[in-house]
Amino acid sequence: MTTTHGPLGVMEGATSGNQMVLSMGPQHPSTHGVLQVLTEIEGEVITKADPEIGYLHTGIEKSAENLFWSQASTVIERMDYLSPLTNAMCYVLGVEKLLGITDRIPERAQQLRVLLCELSRIASHCVWLGTGGIDLGAISPFFYAFDMRENILDLFEASGGARMHPNYLRVGGLRDDIPHGFLDRLDDLIKKFPGRMRELRRLLQNNPIVQDRMIDVAVLEPEEALAWNVSGPVLRGSGIAYDVRKAFPYSGYEKYEFDVPTRTEGDAYARFLVRLDEMDEAMRIVAQVRKQLVQGPVMIDDTKVAPPPKEAIALSMEALIHHFKIVSEGFRVPPGDVYQAVEGPRGELGYYIVSNGENRPWRVRTRPPSMYNLQVLKKLAIGELIADMVVCIGSLDPVFGEVDR
Amino acid sequence: MPPSPQAPPLGNRALDPTAVRPAIDDALIERIEPSALRSRLQALRGDGFTVLLDIGGVDYLDRKPRFDVVYHLLKLPATVASVAAIGTPVRMRVLCGIDDGIALPTVSDIWPSANWAEREVYDLFGITFEGHPDLRRIQMPADWEGHPLRKDYPLRGPGLEKTPRPDFALKSNVLAGTPPSGKTAAALARQIAKIRGQSS
Repeated sequence: MTTTHGPLGVMEGATSGNQMVLSMGPQHPSTHGVLQVLTEIEGEVITKADPEIGYLHTGIEKSAENLFWSQASTVIERMDYLSPLTNAMCYVLGVEKLLGITDRIPERAQQLRVLLCELSRIASHCVWLGTGGIDLGAISPFFYAFDMRENILDLFEASGGARMHPNYLRVGGLRDDIPHGFLDRLDDLIKKFPGRMRELRRLLQNNPIVQDRMIDVAVLEPEEALAWNVSGPVLRGSGIAYDVRKAFPYSGYEKYEFDVPTRTEGDAYARFLVRLDEMDEAMRIVAQVRKQLVQGPVMIDDTKVAPPPKEAIALSMEALIHHFKIVSEGFRVPPGDVYQAVEGPRGELGYYIVSNGENRPWRVRTRPPSMYNLQVLKKLAIGELIADMVVCIGSLDPVFGEVDR
Repeated sequence: MPPSPQAPPLGNRALDPTAVRPAIDDALIERIEPSALRSRLQALRGDGFTVLLDIGGVDYLDRKPRFDVVYHLLKLPATVASVAAIGTPVRMRVLCGIDDGIALPTVSDIWPSANWAEREVYDLFGITFEGHPDLRRIQMPADWEGHPLRKDYPLRGPGLEKTPRPDFALKSNVLAGTPPSGKTAAALARQIAKIRGQSS
């Protein structure tokens, strides 16, 4: 019996009996994007699930190969559209390693990068919390969560000029320094945050409906979690405290004190609690960065990589030439390959970047945490009720810009 | 087919940047022949590399062998573990050079996570994996032709280097005898008359 080719082909050859095939999506409101899950059910119990992805494939990796090193981060930010800065961070760190300038990135730039990445982790978890609540029928937490996210997006807008895809991180540092008033607004947010989190927790955490729907649903054992290559909150919900920020610190994470929230139950509720705790830890890091923030430049002082400051262009011929060269043909990166990983809101986000010495990347391969986390749905959904499918998907928190790229 | 915009800056330069400067990151690096790949990866799995982080492809176009399939492995303790117990785990990069048309052995039975990763490499590079349970396209539509991440695949797809005019526009212009660049009102009127004449 053939089991390949064609979306429904995989269902052929399944056990016969009282099963029926139900196609969820790709336009289902609780698939958090465009995901189709071909589900084989017997009564109300799922006996087989096959996620079909690729509906949002936009060829970002191919596009990146055709852009300058500095331009590629623009499209790369579009992968995980809920935390674009994390994507940019990982790519930029990888390119800096290839250039050999990792140690020369100004301290202030590194601190601000950490600060913005942790803020985007909170913003991303806010979306997960809001939409995850809607999956369970709880509409109100959505507004609370999105309100908090809006405060963070305002900070992104202040720093980079755009709410969603600021393209603020550059190879060598940051595009600009943060504006006046940014830190005051940040202080406001830091002060408000514990109260807001308390509200959110009160709405959902001890809610008996939430607990009924999530406890002992979609259980993932630690051995399975490793074999299926999940990462981030999904892995830590199964008891393995692997966090790239601790295991392979980057951008000065080793200087900040934070815990890695871990649960051992491995069910949807454990992942839910891990994410909530992670929001608190992220804010803890933000507060530390805020306290330790140094003054100084935010861009590397190397005109081969970073364009010279605007004032210098008017005065120096050499600066003008450097500026012209960087804008018109970009900078060149020595040949080599590198694997750089960061801890994104969804897990280990990695880039395997290959340079052949030209001004464009030869290859930018993403290790998409969402894709590998979503793949485990094949395993997780089996034996669950059909109504719990949305809980399974919600607890994995996939972002389809990244799954499909 | 017009040449891809990626081709000119490279020319025929022999290319394997990974051989020039092999160790920038903290990963252990190993290059393996396709024939030894499966046994080596199985041995590494037994050696404690519990996680297959990623499988990716790279097309070096002019190099022999043409492609690299890149496996990233991670050594994590096989059960519940704290941050201290994990420490800094060993990361490993296994590179396997392979020519067009030759199949690699699958590892999806050793690490189930390889299932989608191998499908993606197949979809975007056209590298097949022998023994894979469900090797079909994953990102591109099932009836797609070609493998988009190959370097000789044009950025916008085959024959689509310029924004194409819709089919009907081209056809109607040809029918009406006007150049494909524009459609005059007279030509349109002629065409409508012609179609009406045929249908009645």
